[in-house]
Amino acid sequence: MIKVKLKCFSQVKYALGTGEVILEIEIGATTAELEEMVRDRADGRLDGVGLSVAINQQYVKGDVVLHDGDEVVLIPPVQGG
Amino acid sequence: MVIVEIIDRPIDPFPSDDGRLEQGSELIFNGRVRSKENGQEIKELEYEQYEGMAESELKRIAIETANIYPISDLFCKHRVGTVAVGETSLHVVIWSKHRNEGLEAITFFISELKKRVPIWKWAILKDGTKIPSECRYH
Repeated sequence: MIKVKLKCFSQVKYALGTGEVILEIEIGATTAELEEMVRDRADGRLDGVGLSVAINQQYVKGDVVLHDGDEVVLIPPVQGG
Repeated sequence: MVIVEIIDRPIDPFPSDDGRLEQGSELIFNGRVRSKENGQEIKELEYEQYEGMAESELKRIAIETANIYPISDLFCKHRVGTVAVGETSLHVVIWSKHRNEGLEAITFFISELKKRVPIWKWAILKDGTKIPSECRYH
């Protein structure tokens, strides 16, 4: 198993009720699997919310393998400006 | 030159400069907090950022903008934390030789900012209730 830090903002923070959580996941687990896990935990509160993914403060595209110690953010639609 | 800042205090605008003799266009944009959110009166917005990435992504967009459009300088300050109705949350200044490239650049820059910079906002109603802001990029 590996550990990743999930940081939560906006709708994700609201849905999970936390700003940050350490998750233990299988070696070789991917961003898509993490998103599925988070949506399950959100129990419907993230239905219809599109999520981008950032690993270690950079956007990533596609399904990416996570590594021990990664900081991951599932980014709901942003609202700057 | 590109300067971007994310700050948690009222925005001190970038100074104007009468000494720039090669740039005929100085565009200044101030995005301000409106008094209504989704039809409801509000007293302030609360901006939340992904610290670190918000500023790095903002800088990346500013550099992209300066690479695409022939502008001289792009300066930007984005506020986070609590911003009262009427106050500036986003301040952008673009200097260029002519206005057209500046106008195109500022449109591109702000559009990309609204799509990519990890900042979110909540509306605080007059009675203190916090509701999700409905404002999204379109």
